[in-house]
Amino acid sequence: MSILDIDERILQVVELVDLRATPITDLKEPDIEGVDVGILEGGINNTYNEEVAKKMRERCKILVALGDCAVFGGVPAMRNFVGVDAALKRAYIEAESNDQEGKIPSSPELAVMTRVRAIHEVVPVDLFIPGCPPDADVIFYALVELAQGRMPDIKDDKLHWH
Amino acid sequence: MIKLTIDEKTIEVQEGTTVLEAAEAAGVYVPTLCHHPQLTPYGGCRMCMVDVEGARTLQPSCTLPATDGMVVRTSSEKVIKARKFVLTLIFSERNHFCMYCPVSDGDCELQNRAYDEDMTHWDLQPNWQPYEVDASHPFIVLDNNRCILCRRCVRACGELVGNYTLGFEERGADSLLVADYNVPLGESTCISCGTCVQICPTGALIDRQSAYQGKETEVDHHVGVCVECSVGCRRDVLTRDNRLVRIEGEWDADLNHGLLCDQGRFLPLEDDRTRLLTPLVRKNGSLKAATWEEALKAISDNMGQGAGLAALASTRLPAEDLALFKSIFTDGLNAGLVTSLEAGKATASLALLAEKLGKPFETSLDALKDTDAVLSLELDLVDEHQVAGFFVKRQLLDGTKLIVADSSQNKLAENAACNLPLKPGEEAQFLSQLLKAVAESSEDATLRDVAEILKHAEKPCIVYGETFASQADEAALVALLELAVTLNASLVGVKGQANSMAAAQLGLEDPIKTDGVKSAFILLGDQEPSQKLVKALEDVPFVVTQAAYSSQMTANADVVLPVTMWAEQAGTYLSMDGRLQKSVKSLDAPEGVLTSHEALLKIAETLALEPDTNWEASLKARTPTVAFQSA
Repeated sequence: MSILDIDERILQVVELVDLRATPITDLKEPDIEGVDVGILEGGINNTYNEEVAKKMRERCKILVALGDCAVFGGVPAMRNFVGVDAALKRAYIEAESNDQEGKIPSSPELAVMTRVRAIHEVVPVDLFIPGCPPDADVIFYALVELAQGRMPDIKDDKLHWH
Repeated sequence: MIKLTIDEKTIEVQEGTTVLEAAEAAGVYVPTLCHHPQLTPYGGCRMCMVDVEGARTLQPSCTLPATDGMVVRTSSEKVIKARKFVLTLIFSERNHFCMYCPVSDGDCELQNRAYDEDMTHWDLQPNWQPYEVDASHPFIVLDNNRCILCRRCVRACGELVGNYTLGFEERGADSLLVADYNVPLGESTCISCGTCVQICPTGALIDRQSAYQGKETEVDHHVGVCVECSVGCRRDVLTRDNRLVRIEGEWDADLNHGLLCDQGRFLPLEDDRTRLLTPLVRKNGSLKAATWEEALKAISDNMGQGAGLAALASTRLPAEDLALFKSIFTDGLNAGLVTSLEAGKATASLALLAEKLGKPFETSLDALKDTDAVLSLELDLVDEHQVAGFFVKRQLLDGTKLIVADSSQNKLAENAACNLPLKPGEEAQFLSQLLKAVAESSEDATLRDVAEILKHAEKPCIVYGETFASQADEAALVALLELAVTLNASLVGVKGQANSMAAAQLGLEDPIKTDGVKSAFILLGDQEPSQKLVKALEDVPFVVTQAAYSSQMTANADVVLPVTMWAEQAGTYLSMDGRLQKSVKSLDAPEGVLTSHEALLKIAETLALEPDTNWEASLKARTPTVAFQSA
């Protein structure tokens, strides 16, 4: 969502690209024939994230990890210190906001939580844009470069992990 | 001299110079992490590796001695690749989650090194083994998750402070930074000097007061002298939006080289006393808020002058203020008593001796840094004037012998080679016995041992404090001088508060007596008044107090003038060893609050006095106990 931080400049980006799929467009997944650039935000937290990452890798020539969660694991990765079971128990049973009958969701339709990983631990990543969130200017720079077929160089004042 | 080439630049250096030092001299930047200019090179992090022609592997430049004809490359492809790999290993060794770390994005040396190498990520995942965070200490938080095992803190604690609290448990990847034998830091032998926090390159040691309060890019720096005691350490006061953020020691300072004690670093930020924001005047028995004009009129109507007037000033105030104070009350109002709140206890007898000799007889505190035998006379260097104590403590493992002569329990005693009992009032007798033991011999076995140590020392040093200075009679001081001459020893006199020496130079050293005093003027500044002082002034009919904070003293006063605290004023301080240094203004004072100097000038104006404002001449008019050094 930090891509929206570039504000009205998004219109300039849209002019340069053919936006194929996003979580908020009708098409949620990149075309099966493949696309030039795919951007992933967030770390790999469950089996669904794994599937998405693998599909993105297969279909995108350049895969970008955007933000500290995608690059390092980020805040959700704090749960790795306690493990999945303890994190679920805390959230669904012990948390003060739960009712007396709190229980851990266990529908077979739900993805299974895993250890939180940076994307590049699951699939190879071509470009890392760290930051929590990355600065809007850095995002804009990266998108414009990618849209024009160049690989952005994230360094100096464009490099912040936060 | 040795000639070597670094990145195509040829440079000549002294034998014993490391490649890193040579590179710095040649203007070639080599990144480092575990290295610190104040510490012995350690070679622990491998960040500073360089390519040396003919060497089998890359070499750590911080520990590698430069040799003649050496050809060094600091940024070959091999070196850059190794640096990134070293950083990757360091990041993955523990749990470095920069997004929740207070030093992230600017203040972290580890992250900055990674930025320098254009690292957008690291290839190896973190350790994921959680380490407990030790938050037991009132000022310091120790987080092993962010530790890079560089041991800067451990080395600083030992090499610089001589406290040896921090150390490492286990080896390799299991290494854990611990206090003492792995006790919580808050229950350890830590003395809260904070040097470890200041020297930590990452967020493994942070201080509670300033964490998340402002990064380097957001704070203002104010470098000046510390006003918590007369050692005269230089420190950097960091502020943001007119608020104190943190105090750090100045690494470049000639005397303290970055060191501070808890009193200079942490305690000033803990001050929670109530500020005085308006003048107060007693009307019908109770203190009421008043204007400056009303307060000054009350002073001009009631304070009077001559023998019935007593004027006392805090030695925490700048020399400018003390000189102006003296001129107003001695020259202008001819007050019966004009003195400091310390009443010259640490200085009067010594100042007399210097006048008699016609020259200074004490030496710089630097003598304490390089000595092989220290005789400490009635002096606590553990709780007071701590940084001077660090200079002594840190040499003890290198063979410097400490001899403690004291009447009361002295915390340095456990580190001493010899302990000698010394009763207050018997200084002369003690020193002449010691002198005899040095010159001839003694029947007392301990005295004989002490004499042997002192006689065989190349750079002996005798250090004494307020108790000694206030107890020693003329005979004792003569014996002290004779002992120093016989041993060729340096004499270091530890004075009281920040401007104890300036007060001595101005002759503000008469004992405080309030019998028959009709009115008193107390220039308190930000000093907390002692119970004894409050009691002594209880029966004085008219008391004016000029103070920054509310206290029993101001509650009992008839007129209270609100003035600035240390951070809101600038001025000059004369350290115990004669260094004239400036304190700087770090904060803006609240509205309606004047500096002590401004308030004194207003009083002089109201009383139609024309005080002498040439403080420097007044300060230098008297023969000092130690030669002035301009810093």
